[in-house]
Amino acid sequence: MRYSADLLAKSPEPVLVGLARTGNRDAFAEIVRRRQTWIRNLMRRCCRDATLADDLSQQVFMQAWRTIRQLHDAERFAPWLKRMAINTWLQHKRRGDPLRNADEHGENDSAARPANDVALDLDRALSMLADDVRLCIVLAYNEGMTHAEIAEFTGFPLGTIKSHIRRGSQRLQKELAAYMEQRGTAT
Amino acid sequence: MSNDYDPRLQSLFAKAQEALDRDAFTRAIVERIDRQRRRAMLAWSVFALVGVMVLALLAHPVFTALAMATELLPVSLVDIETGWLRQLLSPINSVAAATALGALGIHRLVRRLLG
Repeated sequence: MRYSADLLAKSPEPVLVGLARTGNRDAFAEIVRRRQTWIRNLMRRCCRDATLADDLSQQVFMQAWRTIRQLHDAERFAPWLKRMAINTWLQHKRRGDPLRNADEHGENDSAARPANDVALDLDRALSMLADDVRLCIVLAYNEGMTHAEIAEFTGFPLGTIKSHIRRGSQRLQKELAAYMEQRGTAT
Repeated sequence: MSNDYDPRLQSLFAKAQEALDRDAFTRAIVERIDRQRRRAMLAWSVFALVGVMVLALLAHPVFTALAMATELLPVSLVDIETGWLRQLLSPINSVAAATALGALGIHRLVRRLLG
């Protein structure tokens, strides 16, 4: 059954999830429209390269489309999608596929550069962190997740997460000292 | 649990959030879904076509085997000359009865071995 774009745009997310579970492509497209900025920004913070981030984000949404019937509680769509995004990123790092080193290539690719200067500097600073440290930092600061939530989502031990976040934060503070001072003087 | 995150970094991450072109991205996903659906439909069509071809090829030998079985199943195992006795024992004195008993025996054996 086809629903108008207006009706879908006004529908709450659980309703869209329910429709998508029955195979309604338009409802799923509306979910993608609403959630893509979040997932793409999360992926951009993880991998720095915008093209790779969009490719991984597409993988996340395609996997969500294939497996949405397994999601029994439509209210839990956001955490379910976030878990899928984190797993996609972890799998990508483990696979070590040819796009793995896109971090280095991305710097010369103007199309892949973030339009926002803060994003550019932040991504450059994040790329200096080890993969696991970067992931913990992104989940903590970008997603506002607690240590326990990060442990649950990534499977890393709690102590490791605390140490990653402490060391990662120190490194970011050092690399982004100019922003830290600006904010320090502004407040 | 207390998570002592640096508020300055939190603010930087918030500022780094970019508004992205959502229509192009959504269109790309919809195209991938459509492509996937077309591929699945093509695979099912090929599967159905192959199924029909296999059935068509096997139709003759299958019908021949069925016809032979139909002729063979009522054949008596032991030739009994007395008319009423032959009729009385006909449910068990046939290839069909032997086959059914054999199948039942195999079924029980398999259940005993696997169960």
